[in-house]
Amino acid sequence: MMRKREFYSLVGPSMLVMVGLLLVPLYLTVKWSFQDVDYGSPGQFVGLDNYARAFTDPRFGHALLFTAGLTLVVTAVLLVGGYVLAAMINRLGRMRPVVLGILLISYVIPQVVGATMFSWLFDQNFGGVVNLAVSWVTGEDVLWFVEAWPNRIMVALNVIWSMLPFATLIMLAGLQGVSQDVLEAAQLDGAGPVRTHWSIIIPSIRGVIGFVGLISIMDILRVFDNLVPLSPQAVQLGNESLMLYIFNIAFQDGGQDLGLGSALSVLTIVVIVIMLYPFLRDVVKEARQQ
Amino acid sequence: MTTSPSPSSGARAGSSSSTTSRPRRPRRGAAPRSVARRGLGPLGGIVLALVCVLMLLPVIWTVLSVIKPANVAFANPPVLSFRPTLDAFVDLWQATYFYRYLINTFVVALISTLGALILGIPAAYALSRFPGWVSVALLLLALVFRSLPRFAIVLPMYDIARNLGIYDTRWVLAVALMAINQPFTIWLLRNFFAAIPRELDEAAMLDGCRRDQVLTRIMVPLLGPGILTSGIFVFFFAFQEYLTAVVLTNTEAGTVPVFIATQLGQTLPMLQQAGAAAVLLTVPVMIFAFVAQRYLVAGLSAGSVRG
Repeated sequence: MMRKREFYSLVGPSMLVMVGLLLVPLYLTVKWSFQDVDYGSPGQFVGLDNYARAFTDPRFGHALLFTAGLTLVVTAVLLVGGYVLAAMINRLGRMRPVVLGILLISYVIPQVVGATMFSWLFDQNFGGVVNLAVSWVTGEDVLWFVEAWPNRIMVALNVIWSMLPFATLIMLAGLQGVSQDVLEAAQLDGAGPVRTHWSIIIPSIRGVIGFVGLISIMDILRVFDNLVPLSPQAVQLGNESLMLYIFNIAFQDGGQDLGLGSALSVLTIVVIVIMLYPFLRDVVKEARQQ
Repeated sequence: MTTSPSPSSGARAGSSSSTTSRPRRPRRGAAPRSVARRGLGPLGGIVLALVCVLMLLPVIWTVLSVIKPANVAFANPPVLSFRPTLDAFVDLWQATYFYRYLINTFVVALISTLGALILGIPAAYALSRFPGWVSVALLLLALVFRSLPRFAIVLPMYDIARNLGIYDTRWVLAVALMAINQPFTIWLLRNFFAAIPRELDEAAMLDGCRRDQVLTRIMVPLLGPGILTSGIFVFFFAFQEYLTAVVLTNTEAGTVPVFIATQLGQTLPMLQQAGAAAVLLTVPVMIFAFVAQRYLVAGLSAGSVRG
């Protein structure tokens, strides 16, 4: 049994850092969300003004729509693609480490650097090879950086590129936990591959799939790095993500609207905590059982 | 206690990897081969190879652009026959402060990783051992902090750093990243610690070990691979970080991702320099991803797969 004093002396330093460097900044953000405020000077209380402005600002609407759409589409692709890839890799023998190593590459490259590399694949001015291939197939010049929809597709592809490895590796770990006996029994009973996946494997790893979905949703809701190189005209195209919007109004060019930016941060936190709720509940349940 | 369903639970993170294949079960007569061992077939192989090429394409294309002579580096249509040159790297080294950004990146990543581990190891150990609502509450807090939108933390940090006069220093960035990544360390390590039976602690304490000695003499050596795994992840997070670095630093303490992003709106020689910087940053990490693969895979499964 660990004594109370032992517990607090072990947890203390970490707690101190969390309070001082995370909780205090968080408190400031919440405070600023009710203020008309600028960096380096005390703010003035304005009640719910910032929140009211957030909900009447069409730019916020666009950012919300763009972020939600991106999140939905990319999460769906990640779940399906990650599962299919994991199922294929699970059958590999000697080649497995090679394929895993290649997959890990886009996971370890900084996202902003990966997105920069991606932009060169698509940029017409720089002889991007993907752009060439696309215009050769379709016979049309696609303006990836100045047209809204092509830009959205390019951004989505980049986010998929950077997040697919994570989804695949987690699913692979899940697949490895599926009991071989059950699979063999299913085969003996004459279940085909599709049936086996759909009615046996997927239900038995639904916890893992749910986890991948949750992490993907939370990460894409916070997408920022990828847009910096890929969507320099995000504001005009309506391709601003929530985080980019906060950055643009609360930091870029001296941060003209820190109060509104803070209110948007608070709203994002509320959404994230709501989405985390089932997961947090599981953690509590599991911790209780210990 | 729930153990993770993955075969590579934390305590064994280094000694066994999830990439090793299970022993084949004996085949009886005409019984079908086990599903996982059936092989991919030609079609699956082609699809998988294609996915691998597509995943690598951005890197390959960037490497090509960087080793082209400057005048055709980004020509349209692309020039595919050229005499490879390393001029862009020389240029990057001579014409920019790349080395400074590189040093910043590694110093910041190293300091913040060590800090996060030193804080996280005892905390994770305590959380895995102490029953009661406090540890549950702290764990929840760690989880929520791990998923907070960065600006909610980083913009106030920017304000505080400027007031204190420590804006644009390596220390402020290292400390910020330590604080931001520390909850993840706790979360990952707690799962590793939870896999070690408590009886071991109790036996050691009966033998006269103090609690801190149990941690340093028994738990830490036992969890070596798990700690290494968490260290690798936190190092990567710090090394990859763009948002925090762009807000908290300027020219003095900037990191390579910030450098590359600022080169983007520029003209040709600077673009190729950005490409060279990207390649210099990517190649070591790619090698690392291959070498340390089992730690990465083990960390991903142990830290996140939950029953």
